[in-house]
Amino acid sequence: MASNMEVDNPDVGVMASAGTSGSVSISLHPLVIMNISEHWTRVKAQEGKPVQVYGALIGKQKGRNIEVMNSFELVTDKVNDAVVVNMDYYTVKEEQFKQVFSEMIFWVGTHCGNPNTSDINVHKQIIQINESPIFLKLNPLARHADLFVIFQLPVSMYESVIDLVNGEATMLLVELQYTLATEEAERIGVDHVARVSIADSVEGSTGMITSFF
Amino acid sequence: MKKMDAKNALKTWEMSNQVENVSSIDDIYRYDRQQHQDILTAKPWDKDPHYFKHIKISALALLKMVMHARSGGNLEVMGLLLGKVDGSTMIVMDSFALPVEGTETRVNAQAQAYEYMAAYTESAKQVGRLENAIGWYHSHPGYGCWLSGIDVNTQMLNQQYQEPFVAIVVDPVRTISAGKVNIGAFRTYPKGYIPPDEGPSEYQSIPLSKIEDFGVHCKHYYSLDVSYFKSSLDRKLLESLWNKYWVNTLSSSSLLTNADYTTGQVFDLADKLEQSEVQLGRGGFILGMDSHEKRSEDKLLKATKDG
Ligand SMILES: [Zn+2]
Repeated sequence: MASNMEVDNPDVGVMASAGTSGSVSISLHPLVIMNISEHWTRVKAQEGKPVQVYGALIGKQKGRNIEVMNSFELVTDKVNDAVVVNMDYYTVKEEQFKQVFSEMIFWVGTHCGNPNTSDINVHKQIIQINESPIFLKLNPLARHADLFVIFQLPVSMYESVIDLVNGEATMLLVELQYTLATEEAERIGVDHVARVSIADSVEGSTGMITSFF
Repeated sequence: MKKMDAKNALKTWEMSNQVENVSSIDDIYRYDRQQHQDILTAKPWDKDPHYFKHIKISALALLKMVMHARSGGNLEVMGLLLGKVDGSTMIVMDSFALPVEGTETRVNAQAQAYEYMAAYTESAKQVGRLENAIGWYHSHPGYGCWLSGIDVNTQMLNQQYQEPFVAIVVDPVRTISAGKVNIGAFRTYPKGYIPPDEGPSEYQSIPLSKIEDFGVHCKHYYSLDVSYFKSSLDRKLLESLWNKYWVNTLSSSSLLTNADYTTGQVFDLADKLEQSEVQLGRGGFILGMDSHEKRSEDKLLKATKDG
């Protein structure tokens, strides 16, 4: 496991005080979770070790509810140990996605552990794209047995607030509540792939048409 | 029975996890450029018209195709498949929608689609999606998964110039009405090839208006056995997702209608369906359009309106 993934303590001065509540609620589509999962797995398979990956969220806002529908991968560079989002790449992808999906853009980051100052640093870059971005964090290394018992997804969402800390305006994160949203085809698709055995194959049928369960 | 499956699956996961190395499950997500090059050079499919027998589709690719097909409603939508081959199995890692818009300037629209394909595939490589185009998919809303005459021509051309290549068809209407994914994967035979009698294929109902198109061309292609795969992380997440559905029956879904989801994604392919010319694409796919019934219906509709 990469060393930067062992850090599980929230960096001091990252989260707003416990009483702070979020200004929006989130509806999250499973497609986003599957996108992140695939991105992380693919990079891990290619690199031979877990690597933190980043992406952008696509969704739309209605009043105080944000529906997060889709996402795409981002290119990041390491500059002096700091993660720098490649804005040129972002612009290219945004243009591509607008052609098939004209929505608002937010952002996503995914790695192990609690939010840290690195996340705040990336969040500040994303604010150049969207004034009030939300931040999704997926922990791919969450222990499976726990999840299985409590049916919890290892996904947390945050927004940022500016607070005075020691007399200085500081960006802090506030955790947001989210629910899952789907439309029918998505639900059928998720249901389908959820039941596919991990050992793959033997699932398909022969002939003109393949249908399931 | 569901409970047993979940328990067994959990055991499998825990066992493979204790080995510390789950990577064998996720190996399929690694791309070996050299291996791919070797296969392209050897072209084993050239010697056997029936070479590819199986297709494996990733959980993500399936989900994206089904959702895209659904977002088109009664219009046909189209996209590209990215993947690789392993022996006689084609592997679909990912899929993406093509922005094929209904417009009268068809040639421009095609050029635009090719540009999009090339740009998308290129930008995907920058984030570690290294596979090339391995096929295309499109939707048949309500009339089943098979290849029309135009589909056969499109696929034949691509098998001539873009091998290895596969055609996937998804029926979003039947997917919803049956509550099951309705999908098929096909390869065409070379022109003039007479396939050995394969016996009757699995039954599916085909609308009367399509039966002639179906009958004339159904011996020009065959279907591949479809199976699916997912990663160890997919598994973990899907189990939680599935349980959440099960427990909450999606409390939030009533807030959000399908219409909300679909409007952003509809490509009016139907307007272009009469298109039968094909063109070599630098994006790795030759675009040919279906000429299913819809076009004439549209014309009829227009005529009625005009009159
Ligand atoms: Zn067709």
